[in-house]
Amino acid sequence: MKYIKIFIGIALSGSALVSCTKLEEKFQGDLTPGQVAGGSSSVDALLKGAYASMQNSFQEQGNVFSLQELSGDAAIVPTRGGDWDDNGAWRQLHSHQWDADNTHVRDCFNALSGTVFLATDLLQYTPSAQQGAEARFLRAFSMFEQLDLYDQVPYREPGESTLEPAKVRKGSEALDFIISEAEAIMNDLPDGPAGTANKWAAKVLLMKCYLNKGVFANRAAPTFDAADMQKVIGYGDEIINSGKFAFSTSYYDNFAPDNTDATKAKENIFTKVNVGGEASGGSGNSVRSRWYMTTHYNMNPGGWNGFSTLSDFYDKFEASDKRRGEAYALTGIPNPGKRVNVGFLAGQQYNLTTDAALTDRTGAPLSFTAAVKSIETENNLEVTGIRVNKYGVDYTNDNSGNVDNDYVYYRYADVLLMKAEAALRGGGSTSTALDLVNQVRSNRGASTLSALTLDVLLDERGRELYWEEYRRQDLIRFGKFLQVWQEKPSDDPKNLLFPIPNQQLSVNPNLTKNPGY
Amino acid sequence: MHATFKNYFMSFIHIAKKIVYLCTLNTSNPLLNYEKLRMIMLVKPLLKATLLLCLLLTTQVLFAQTKTVTGKVSDDKGSPVAGASVLVKGAKSGTSTSSDGSFKLSVPSSATALVISYVGFAEQEVSIPESNDVSVSLKPESQALTDVVVIGYGTARKKDLTGSVASVQAKDFNKGTFTAPDQLIQGKVAGVQVVANTGQPGGASTVKIRGNSAITGTGQPLYVVDGIPLDGRSSRPGLNAQNVGTTPGGNPLNFINPNDIASMDVLKDASATAIYGSRAAYGVVIITTKRGQSGQPKLDLGASVGESSIMKTIDVLDGNQYRQALTKYSLGNANDKGANVDAMDAILRTGITQNYSLAVSGGNENGKYRLSAGMLDQQGIVKKSDFKKYTLGFNSNFKFLDSKKLGLDINLISSQYLEHIVPISNDAGSTGSLIGQALQWNPTQALRNSDGSLNILAGDIVNPLAMSEAYNDLSKVTSILGSISPYYKITNDLEYRMLYSINYSTGTRRTSIQSYINLADVKGKGWASYGNNELITQQVTHTLNYNKKLSSDLNVNAVVGYEYMKYTNKGGTMSAFGPTGGFGNYDLDYTNYLQYSASSARTISSFIDPTSELQSYFGRVVLNLKDRYLLTGTFRADGSTRFGSNNKYGYFPSIAFAWNIAKEEFFHAGLIRDLKLRASWGKTGNQEFPSGSSQAKYSFSNNGGLGQSNNPNPDLKWQSDKQYNIGLDFGILNNRLTGSVDYFNKTTTDLLFPTFPIQPAPPGNVPTWKNLDGKVLNKGFEVTLNAAIVQNKDFSWNFGANASFIKNSVSGLSAPIQTGQLNGQGVSGTLVEVIASGLPINAFYTRAYSGIDKATGQAIYPYKDSFSYQGNPNPSTILGISTTVSYKRLSFTANMNGAFGQKLYNNTLNNVINIGNLRGGRNAAVSVVNAEPQESLTNPVTSSARFIQSGSYMKLANATLSYGIGSIAKFIKGANIYVTGSNLFVITKFKGFDPEVNVDKSNNGVPSVGIEYTPYPSARTVTFGVNFSL
Repeated sequence: MKYIKIFIGIALSGSALVSCTKLEEKFQGDLTPGQVAGGSSSVDALLKGAYASMQNSFQEQGNVFSLQELSGDAAIVPTRGGDWDDNGAWRQLHSHQWDADNTHVRDCFNALSGTVFLATDLLQYTPSAQQGAEARFLRAFSMFEQLDLYDQVPYREPGESTLEPAKVRKGSEALDFIISEAEAIMNDLPDGPAGTANKWAAKVLLMKCYLNKGVFANRAAPTFDAADMQKVIGYGDEIINSGKFAFSTSYYDNFAPDNTDATKAKENIFTKVNVGGEASGGSGNSVRSRWYMTTHYNMNPGGWNGFSTLSDFYDKFEASDKRRGEAYALTGIPNPGKRVNVGFLAGQQYNLTTDAALTDRTGAPLSFTAAVKSIETENNLEVTGIRVNKYGVDYTNDNSGNVDNDYVYYRYADVLLMKAEAALRGGGSTSTALDLVNQVRSNRGASTLSALTLDVLLDERGRELYWEEYRRQDLIRFGKFLQVWQEKPSDDPKNLLFPIPNQQLSVNPNLTKNPGY
Repeated sequence: MHATFKNYFMSFIHIAKKIVYLCTLNTSNPLLNYEKLRMIMLVKPLLKATLLLCLLLTTQVLFAQTKTVTGKVSDDKGSPVAGASVLVKGAKSGTSTSSDGSFKLSVPSSATALVISYVGFAEQEVSIPESNDVSVSLKPESQALTDVVVIGYGTARKKDLTGSVASVQAKDFNKGTFTAPDQLIQGKVAGVQVVANTGQPGGASTVKIRGNSAITGTGQPLYVVDGIPLDGRSSRPGLNAQNVGTTPGGNPLNFINPNDIASMDVLKDASATAIYGSRAAYGVVIITTKRGQSGQPKLDLGASVGESSIMKTIDVLDGNQYRQALTKYSLGNANDKGANVDAMDAILRTGITQNYSLAVSGGNENGKYRLSAGMLDQQGIVKKSDFKKYTLGFNSNFKFLDSKKLGLDINLISSQYLEHIVPISNDAGSTGSLIGQALQWNPTQALRNSDGSLNILAGDIVNPLAMSEAYNDLSKVTSILGSISPYYKITNDLEYRMLYSINYSTGTRRTSIQSYINLADVKGKGWASYGNNELITQQVTHTLNYNKKLSSDLNVNAVVGYEYMKYTNKGGTMSAFGPTGGFGNYDLDYTNYLQYSASSARTISSFIDPTSELQSYFGRVVLNLKDRYLLTGTFRADGSTRFGSNNKYGYFPSIAFAWNIAKEEFFHAGLIRDLKLRASWGKTGNQEFPSGSSQAKYSFSNNGGLGQSNNPNPDLKWQSDKQYNIGLDFGILNNRLTGSVDYFNKTTTDLLFPTFPIQPAPPGNVPTWKNLDGKVLNKGFEVTLNAAIVQNKDFSWNFGANASFIKNSVSGLSAPIQTGQLNGQGVSGTLVEVIASGLPINAFYTRAYSGIDKATGQAIYPYKDSFSYQGNPNPSTILGISTTVSYKRLSFTANMNGAFGQKLYNNTLNNVINIGNLRGGRNAAVSVVNAEPQESLTNPVTSSARFIQSGSYMKLANATLSYGIGSIAKFIKGANIYVTGSNLFVITKFKGFDPEVNVDKSNNGVPSVGIEYTPYPSARTVTFGVNFSL
């Protein structure tokens, strides 16, 4: 019996070790909302996460860049034999053949919504006035982009379950919300720097809201209310008269690896600060994709040999215009032949260390041609299309993936051109507009103009802001988006809006199909 | 339950036979004393010695002795069998054989037949010839209906089974050298498909029981080792190597030494699996290790050595063909570099495998033990890949108290394995991984310069030999699976048992890529990563087992239990690029001095999963009426921390009925000797979703960020499987032909699925885990046949075959779910599989293709870019065939397996060796270059039905020729030498390395099926080995 007692004792103690558990799941490397609320620096970290989330929307080449630039007349990703077919997703954008399952149309919608989510969510954790204002600015910024592309902006209240279909603001209602937010947070936003959501950035956002107000109301036949144009000019003047911004010595200083330096990159109003060699915390490709997406395999650094511009667009530039390209001094590369390394890369390309002429993978000269087709079928398919890169290569950090170039969201020259446009559209005088445009042109080495029309202004915006994710918005506002152009033989009015992705339509009944899809 | 449990089930006749055997023995032979003692021990729990003696006396008196029969009993190899029981049929007299296998027995003159039996051999009946001289050759006990099979929390005689359970004994395992046990039963069990995911030694397999119903997770069965359910994950740290990609996972079963396994039981239908509740939806595989037997210590030794080489290559152009192709396509000679190399050959080798095993076992009535040790050293056929494993296993069983009512089982499996892993990944991009780089290498380009140094090209084309040399990846996994299980017989009918186990496994992985390789980001700097992982499972189980004969006709066997399991998974990784100038060429592995990196070029991550606990209550009742009518009911309630707060517990019942028709009085054994009908219904579940999915979770990102990282769902619960099964077991022609036929119908509902989040939601498109409406149906037939075609003294021929016919369909899903992500240049974001209503699961869904346009050389897609159903990657038929032919001491066994009807997507052909490569200075497939009409070099690379190929195959998985030497000198017993060939041939139309392939091309947590993408090639191995005992 002694043994039995011992045995039962052991058995019972064994049971006691694990008496019925309540099955409560505890995070051990993650936090519950309660732990977040109790953390002393939680809101700082949440805000940092929200800033970082915008990398995927704007720096990655497959999202806003694809939708705003590839759908326009200045950028194309030709299918090059084995490369860049990718299920036709790139081609569809330039030829306006996309549908509601296109991966870029889908991913861009999700990426922008991700920032909206994070920026909203942190508001429940009692941020300071400035933290709250910064978050609301990031949210308004992303919502504006979503409104422009899709006309529908799903939103949530802080803390709302993501199992619930999100409510949706459409068209003018969404724009009114964005405007009210930007105005409401203005006084709580800091004065700078460009890497932080600041009041000058909010003013640029408001300029864009008022400039596009009539467009978002009716994209097929926009009208421009004089009062709205006055608003654009008013905010523009506040920025111009602040004295905080000016033209940089070189156009490319704004995009160079050291563009965090506000004394050098004087035009930048709102940027995403990237630190060379330091993990960004964001997902999607970093600003490094700006050169990788376009450069050929045999260049330094070797890229993906894809994105090009079209000859019609390239021909809009004068030879003297610095914006067409120049030899820009970059740390880590001697460039003895003073070859063009920023802007447009046309013709023969060179080894920037030895100045030897480069060849493509078949041994033919690596000489980018002006001619380009949606599907390349000739043997020169590796070299077709003039390449574009505004961001000087950060050779120091290129192969860490985390390059130093800050990504530029808003720039002073855009403010000047928006003010000029508002003036031209009835908010001011043509001469004011012409003067502003000529300020920009003369700073870029281009000849001054004697007259200004809307068509000329659209071209000027193209020359100044090419590949900065505005082209589609501009083409629509100027009524040119549905015109045929190189490698886009036809169009359809429905294309003024991107379709709401089928994935989201299937889960959120508050979203509706955009007209024509 | 305990192994001796089977004794409780032995029929009285069987016991009586043993009693007779014990008392009528001629005790002049001292060798028999041991056997006698053993028998007494077995009988003891049931009958008191007094009763036994009474029986002895009566039985001895009963017989008149009127004639004498003599004879000899030998085993299937012709060796004499000592101690075999020889009984007169229909009477109770008998004897046992002496040390030379001979016997002499007086029998009544009316006796016509003898029944011969011996442990481990099938009972055999022989008629007494005129000469009164009998010669008997015993056959090893096959998967006959008398076997004991291990079911959850107990054992059962196979003939008492009501569910669909297949038991594979060690002697029937596939032959050859295996790193993990899942390969042992490939092709052996109807309804079970085993596919090696990779040819890398130690790589994981995909095991699917009764079709594919996994729209998420692994779809792998639950493995239970000696009563301990495994976690199912490997603690080998995963790795996404810089610019190489994600290497395939390790096999979670690697820690087991296949030589230590006594049997593997596959539980298939819900009656069998429901006792494992929410983890059993994909079936259960029970692994039972070998135990010690009473008797003198026995030392078993085995050694083998093998040689492996590539089974099948992919034809790409050689140097001369490449030059011809450049001419044919007018490409000039810029890419003719003059040499003639075989890059694939340069990274391959002949791998040598050595395997040694040792086991000491023995014991007595108070305790038994078995200690085993194993050492495996397997070289892969790709240079620098190998697998070394050291295992030490110990199990013992003690009985205490005079009554022997208290017992203790102790089990320990410890192992360590080291793997050198090569840079072959599932998702390599345009720079490829090692196999892709070798296939693509321009065959006119020398791999080494004239000075012997590696030829590193200026562009992005990577020299595979350089890749092989520059990449070092060593993982080490150390595991201990220990359990202690005391039990106490409260009464003769009631036993209490407790099991406590801990399964601790830790893995480290050190990976480095040398700075000289021209991989983007790595070149000039080098890269290194150090990862570690810990996986711990703790378990406590309490069971009460009740077994009683309620009346002469009715037997009840019941078990109730409580079980608690706790899972822990944690780890971390640090990686870094070298500083400016790189890690340097100090001939040290970079992982040994990671601090030399620039601080900004370091990446660190660490994790620990949320607490994960499973608490369960379960029970089972088996009623046996007259051995004819069997009823089994099981029930399990599983509570899990993973489940949402609104669904904490899941309930999993099953019921089954079997009718032993052959035992009915109206049944006259003619041609058919055994006949049993089974029917079952039950529910099981699957809880394979990440823990922490039901409540809101905020995760830290790198560089100071924080944000919600999931879409919590408090309603989240298990996926539910309902299955019914109707089966028939039969034995024909004196049970020389046995078999089973099963029909199963398995419906999976509440599909656990990572759904698209409703935006705005946390970034990264983090899925919302939901139980979707919709169902996956798998139904089909399974047929198993075993035939003893020839059974002569010197010659025997056994043949076994199993086939399953499975049909799979998905219905009720509101939106299609896409998966099957292709990789490589030109297919970014391309998904080729869909899970959608009206189609089989993972149906290929892509462009239709109707050939190459003769005029332009461009591919013709009749429906342009619109996608349609293009094939089913799930086999409709799975076949396994095994045959053993023995002549005297020589024996030949062959195991074949095959799968039919499935399609495979050849992502390698699509993206790695396409025609466009010729203009980029890379190599292409011979089949593409020589095809008519001639394809244009500029034909865009895109996914289409063109790359969907038939995956049907039949493989000679292994064939063994063995020779039983028997005893050598006085001390070596049972010596056996053998030669085994594995993967000897495969019949298929598939153009890749091996149609048995499953590269992980999952998308967002949804698994893919049947996509090939530059996998580690399969090896053909020839092994020579020897086994003997001391």
